[in-house]
Amino acid sequence: MLANYLIGLREGLEAALVVGILVAYLVKSGRARHLPRVWAGVGFAVAVSLTAGAALTFGPRGLSFEAQEAIGGGLSIVAVGFVTWMIFWMARTSRQLQGELQGRVDTAIAQGGWSLALVALMAVGREGLETALFLWSATEAAGSTTAPLVGAALGLGTAVALGVLIYRGAIHLDLRRFFTVTGGLLVIVAAGVLSYGIHDLQEAGILPGLNSIAFDVSASVPPGSWYATLLKGTVNFSPRTTWLEALAWLAYVIPVLALFIRTTRPRVRLEPAMKPVPAQTR
Amino acid sequence: MRRLLNVALTGVLLAATACTSNTDDASEPIAVRSTDAACELDSNEAPTGTLVFEVTNGGSAVTEFYLLAADGQRIIGEVEDIGPGLTRKLVVQADPGQYITACKPGMVGDGIRAGFTVTDSG
Repeated sequence: MLANYLIGLREGLEAALVVGILVAYLVKSGRARHLPRVWAGVGFAVAVSLTAGAALTFGPRGLSFEAQEAIGGGLSIVAVGFVTWMIFWMARTSRQLQGELQGRVDTAIAQGGWSLALVALMAVGREGLETALFLWSATEAAGSTTAPLVGAALGLGTAVALGVLIYRGAIHLDLRRFFTVTGGLLVIVAAGVLSYGIHDLQEAGILPGLNSIAFDVSASVPPGSWYATLLKGTVNFSPRTTWLEALAWLAYVIPVLALFIRTTRPRVRLEPAMKPVPAQTR
Repeated sequence: MRRLLNVALTGVLLAATACTSNTDDASEPIAVRSTDAACELDSNEAPTGTLVFEVTNGGSAVTEFYLLAADGQRIIGEVEDIGPGLTRKLVVQADPGQYITACKPGMVGDGIRAGFTVTDSG
């Protein structure tokens, strides 16, 4: 039961993290009325995943290995695009929220409104099919033993509960710290999703280098352990990482984090202290 | 944003056409029983076409099942996250030739390996 619990937790954790931050952001910026769009995205992803998973488990058609890996890998890379957009959209609107007219924020939200639903949809849908296939096989096994299904459900439930805790924790931060912390966290999450997607495509043989290993710490971080589960579930840390995964991770984190820091760096700090000579300079 | 949406939709459509049939030309599923120390297959050979492995985890650790090329490196197919007590399917197309099967209880190492032959069914 513990092993199935950990799978459920791992599959749900990252989605709970992203959705928790998205909800906290909307509530914090006084846009709670857009929450139904986020829930619509989540609901749609859950419904499609469960339906497709059931059809593939109980129906006459199965999913070939190549297709499953291509979907997992492809969706992951698309999800990275959405989460990256979310990071900079939040940073941009936060600056407007702090300094400029409220109306411009409303415009930004109106433009980004349905994109929020898509971010939520991708965050949940990315591993949705894999999770649904796992859940339905636990349901199938329930004829002889219900332990796997109970374990899996408790794991997913724990992931949702942790998402709520993240929301609660984030909502109490002041606005600037909120953006620095959640944005930085999301950059690391997105980089992990990218290297996960690369790994799926390597397994499918679409990308090369599956057996060129950058590091393998699976002896000290056994993939079945609870701490490996938490690392995998949040930042997609893989104890056995290929060179291509590691390089993709770095190639994402370095420029995106640099750009993010530049976007969110407080500008006010420079102005009053460093400009003894007034007005003309601007 | 619209471009991202188009990419996502194209992906979904591609995925919808990528299903393989479980029944048309599929042979009988090959049962695999994976435990913490063993990996037992009903049969170590099958005719060409769609191969279906039904992998049951009788152990206490999460297991994975792989069909590898004869070099033991290239993955022909795999199914992950087979929790204790679960049965999961691997559906894969294979040409005639020699392969290697592997169960990976605990998700680490090279796994418990054995040879597997796909014969030409004409």
